[in-house]
Amino acid sequence: MAEQPRPSEIEPEQAVREAASLAEKVARGTELFTKLRDEEVTIATTPKCEVWRQDKVTLHHYRPLAEKKVSTPVLIVYGLIGRYTMADLQEDRSLVRNLLKLGIDLYVVDWGNPSRADRWLTLDDYIDGYLAECVEFIAQQHAIDKVSLLGICEGGVFTTCHAALRPATVKTLVLTITPIDFHGDTVENRLGHGFINIWTRSLQPADIDRLIDAYGNLPGEFMGSVFSMMTPMRTLMKYNFDMLEVMDDEKKFLNFLRMEKWLADRPHHPGEAAKQWLKDLYQDNKLVKNAFTINGRRVDLRNITMPVLNVFAKDDHIIPPATSQALGAKVGSKDYHELALPGGHVGVFVGGKSQALLGSGIAKWLAERQ
Amino acid sequence: MQALAQMWGRSGGGFTTAQQNFFAEMAKRMADAAGQPPASAPAGFFQPQELTAANQTFAALWKSALEMSQSFARTMQQGKKTDPLVSDLMSKLFDPRTWFTSLGGMDETLQRMAEGPRLADLWDTERKLLAVFNAWTTLRQRSIEHNTVMLEAWMRAAAAFARTLNEKAERKEPLGSWREVLALWVETANTTLLETQRSEKYLDSQREILKASIDLRLAQQALAGFYSEVFGYPTRAEVDDVHRTVTELRREVRALARANRESTTRKTRAPRKKATAPVGLAPGA
Repeated sequence: MAEQPRPSEIEPEQAVREAASLAEKVARGTELFTKLRDEEVTIATTPKCEVWRQDKVTLHHYRPLAEKKVSTPVLIVYGLIGRYTMADLQEDRSLVRNLLKLGIDLYVVDWGNPSRADRWLTLDDYIDGYLAECVEFIAQQHAIDKVSLLGICEGGVFTTCHAALRPATVKTLVLTITPIDFHGDTVENRLGHGFINIWTRSLQPADIDRLIDAYGNLPGEFMGSVFSMMTPMRTLMKYNFDMLEVMDDEKKFLNFLRMEKWLADRPHHPGEAAKQWLKDLYQDNKLVKNAFTINGRRVDLRNITMPVLNVFAKDDHIIPPATSQALGAKVGSKDYHELALPGGHVGVFVGGKSQALLGSGIAKWLAERQ
Repeated sequence: MQALAQMWGRSGGGFTTAQQNFFAEMAKRMADAAGQPPASAPAGFFQPQELTAANQTFAALWKSALEMSQSFARTMQQGKKTDPLVSDLMSKLFDPRTWFTSLGGMDETLQRMAEGPRLADLWDTERKLLAVFNAWTTLRQRSIEHNTVMLEAWMRAAAAFARTLNEKAERKEPLGSWREVLALWVETANTTLLETQRSEKYLDSQREILKASIDLRLAQQALAGFYSEVFGYPTRAEVDDVHRTVTELRREVRALARANRESTTRKTRAPRKKATAPVGLAPGA
């Protein structure tokens, strides 16, 4: 028979106090909850305008918030899992605003909402098609040859490939929480880290093909549930205890709801591109081996000769640091730097501690390489 | 030959008579149900009398064709002795059943396309439905197997939690509030669940449940595709095919547009050659 816990030594008075405090919190929280409206929970509010569009892809130029300090414009490239709005979650937790205030000229590409009609789009279409055209457009607008790229997660893989295939178009390359060695989770092998890597490797390539055949795309809600599995108790506690902790404080509650709004926005990942992402990269690890191809051309990381800043989160459970750091040994650039920040995968962008570090770290590095 | 023709004629006649009786009976029953005399069914309603009439016309014609066939058979038996093979061949040529077989291919096909499965195809539908049912039961089974793995993990977490509480009590380090108790439970359970996620047992059951859900989805799609074909709706495969074509066309257009831009850029950037006077002409000529 399993061991039984002995009764705890919590004083009855303490228990009563805690219960009363909780009841008070719930009462205040319920009032706030009923008062708030969906339109009050806004994210990605930094002003920008759409400057280019192709199919479902749109390119936006942010309005400057300060005098320009870095002449080369920077294009933020997020991936196809989730949306770039995480980088502009709210006014006091926004990489976008921080960079704009530091005089960076900023663009962002939004991949739109892929549907089953987009199931045949490949990573080649996104990297060599849409991204290349965005870069070309920005260069033309500014009458320059080179643009700086800031890739986030899967978007970092896109910018890495672009920089390797078209180095003449890239001034500097900033990567954040970007996987390069998709088997790098085995380096530290930390508990709770790299589950996506382990899970993908447990599947057969045919399983992935059938998944895409059945659904057309990699459904957004599917990836959402995989992410939830990576923090099992956090997921279980989120909508009861965690929310109870903040729901009586309007500021904290709105922060909670904004994060939820971003998490709920889970576009589908186009099917053929998902096959490449899961099979060529997660399973076969082709990128770090210089074996990944785009439109028949090999992505050779040694062709990345421009300055590179590789930012990663020390406690990133989705992209373990070693998977990002692998880039250092592979690039041809003599100007390669790493920036390790506290926090997790999303925390590095929206956490309080990293706000002062991420934006300023990137802006300083860019300014030094004008 | 003659006997065969007669037997065939009798059976054909019997069939058409039976069909006539069936439709007449159906017409009467439908009229009774509608509370109206057989000749006054509501407008747009199925008119069994018309079908009966068509059947009667066909039956009459069939009878004539039979008589003709029998007459040919009789004629060919007369006169000098004929080659049995030639006789047989000639009989077939004038057999109305042969006419229907040779010319009715298109009719049969159209009829099958319009009406759906023939008697011989009926089990195809059953097989597809059975595939869906089997896939559903397999998914339920895999789900139970996976839940078993998870339940074992939760039980291990609970045991570890109890052990830690007792150890703390023995060391005279009791937890002072419910928050501390909750924090300990969260940490203990999280560790156990994360360890479970890396286990072969968990990954295997995850993979099996994923495969089972995909199999169910594909079985449902196959059934939906089957009925889409029958009722003339676009199937998933057909729509995917169209999307593939559109995607490929867009790719081509993008490539062409880029090639055009690059060509224009090259022409714009190419330095213009200085003009020179033609050889042989004096300056000012």
